[in-house]
Amino acid sequence: MRNNIGRVLLALLFLWTMAGNCLGAVDYDHLFRQSSDLMAQGDLDGALNLLKQVPTPAPGEDAGAFVSSRMQAARIHASQKAPDKAIADCQEVLALFPDNSEARNFVAALREQAKPAWHTVLSDTIRFLPSLAKGALTTLLLVLCTMLVSPLGGLLVALGRISTLRPISGLCWLIIWFFRGTPLLLQLFFIYYGLPSLGITMSPLSAAVLGLGLNYSAYLGEIIRGAIQSIDHGQMEAAKAIGMSYGQAMRRIIIPQTYKRLMPPIGNEFIALIKDTALVSTIAMVELMRAADQLFNTYFNITALALAAVIYLLLTTIFTFIFEKIEYRAGIYEHR
Amino acid sequence: MSIANQPLLELKNITKRFKDLTAVNGVNLTVASGEKLVIIGPSGSGKSTLLRSINMLEEIEEGTINFEGREVGYILRNGKRHPDRPQAISALRAEIGMVFQHFHLFPHMTVLGNVMEGPVTVQRKTANEARSIAINILEKVGLSDKRDVFPATLSGGQKQRVAIARALAMRPKLMLFDEPTSALDPELVGEVFDTIHTLADEGMTMIIVTHHMGFARELADRVIFMESGSFLAQGTPEELFSIAHDNERIRGFLNRLL
Ligand SMILES: Nc1ncnc2c1ncn2[C@@H]1O[C@H](COP(=O)(O)OP(=O)(O)OP(=O)(O)O)[C@@H](O)[C@H]1O
Ligand SMILES: [Mg+2]
Repeated sequence: MRNNIGRVLLALLFLWTMAGNCLGAVDYDHLFRQSSDLMAQGDLDGALNLLKQVPTPAPGEDAGAFVSSRMQAARIHASQKAPDKAIADCQEVLALFPDNSEARNFVAALREQAKPAWHTVLSDTIRFLPSLAKGALTTLLLVLCTMLVSPLGGLLVALGRISTLRPISGLCWLIIWFFRGTPLLLQLFFIYYGLPSLGITMSPLSAAVLGLGLNYSAYLGEIIRGAIQSIDHGQMEAAKAIGMSYGQAMRRIIIPQTYKRLMPPIGNEFIALIKDTALVSTIAMVELMRAADQLFNTYFNITALALAAVIYLLLTTIFTFIFEKIEYRAGIYEHR
Repeated sequence: MSIANQPLLELKNITKRFKDLTAVNGVNLTVASGEKLVIIGPSGSGKSTLLRSINMLEEIEEGTINFEGREVGYILRNGKRHPDRPQAISALRAEIGMVFQHFHLFPHMTVLGNVMEGPVTVQRKTANEARSIAINILEKVGLSDKRDVFPATLSGGQKQRVAIARALAMRPKLMLFDEPTSALDPELVGEVFDTIHTLADEGMTMIIVTHHMGFARELADRVIFMESGSFLAQGTPEELFSIAHDNERIRGFLNRLL
């Protein structure tokens, strides 16, 4: 690979020198020709020595050969992995012609290459972070809204499912059946693109919260129903025996006992939710995943995606930690 | 005994079926105010089902329940029996205390919380009122020092005494005990019986299902032997033991217990 590049460089150099000859540049043709020969033989130091023999021109003198020689030297130095020397070559040119764009670009490129990898990542991070943070905030907003809505929805669906009133339990069964049985993506599309044709339009945010909320209510509904039904039947009887109504028994006795059992599976669902919010990027919401995707497509820079992964991990870790704390607190009465 | 001539509870022809199985078969029972009734009988004879029918934890197919002279629990609509409104059933249950074999304490509430729960949630008493009621009753069952612990930390005997306190906090007119000591280690039975005894001495009307004959003999005004959903024999403890002398089934049952 490096050999190939070297060969191309040499070929260019050769052509370029020939061109110089043809234009009849004054005295230094033989020097360039000799140095080209030396380079062809692989004697780069020899070639450099020859090039250095082109002196700094006096003011007003033709500087073409000087500039050419120093830039050629810079290229050779760069190919020798000696960026400092290459930069020094360029700076000789820039001392006389501060606006020489070839020299300046070359210096900039060399400096960029000279930076350590972490430096590049850091500068990318700083560059990407504002839009990623904005996306992450949207993700967090979606997550929090859904976390607020879905346990309530889930509780309603769960209570409906265990109701002895057939129409209610049937309806709740239908809701769970539909929202667990179809892809979330499809539900989001239906709400955001489908409902407007029925005359219901809503902002991407409301559509997203509605879709996620319904979907997660269905899942949590089954989890909550399971937890309620797992509570010893004697608890309901004891509550009734002291005169409680069904509602009082649920609210005061049964449901509070489900909290500890609910936390692990609900925590699981909410971790899935954090990642599922990525799906709402398909309905014109710029959340974390969409923001990262946009950056990636603009800069072809994998750092944006890696950063998004880090932020997702950060969110899931924080929430896992919070859920564990809540679970512990919810079950404190079981500790002896 | 307040209204001496009026029974507190009167069951007529109580019949409860589970599909093909008749768990309680046409039971008639009158319980006077202040009476202590013990029901014995082999497993599956319908003792629990009968107790649970009294406070509507089971819905009976036939018969009537009179409590304090009122017919309770069911209403006739278009000639068909239906359970009464939920509020009416809850109100009935609030006047009848029930103690279960397996305690069924509310594990997420402290001992005090368990005892306060009825007065606060059902009787809508203020927290302060309920607390002083609960503190009094806990003192009576000897558990003042356990007020602030959760049930998980209690022994079986202590749990059952809390369950009794929880029922008493409602100031019930009738107490139903369904094998209150069957889930206890033998050395813990005594403390629960002592508590029930104290209650009996205060004049509480109670129906107790138990397998402890010594306790029945000591406490009961009347002992009923139940089998296959019906009352096979009843009388004072002495009467029942003399009946047992002639009745092989009762004798066999008692011998197995002793
Ligand atoms: N919920 C139920 N569904 C179906 N059958 C039941 C139900 N509850 C009780 N039974 C049946 O009814 C009959 C009476 O049961 P019950 O619990 O009243 O007996 P018991 O006298 O209390 O017995 P034990 O001494 O074992 O407690 C039994 O045959 C029992 O299997
Ligand atoms: Mg029983």
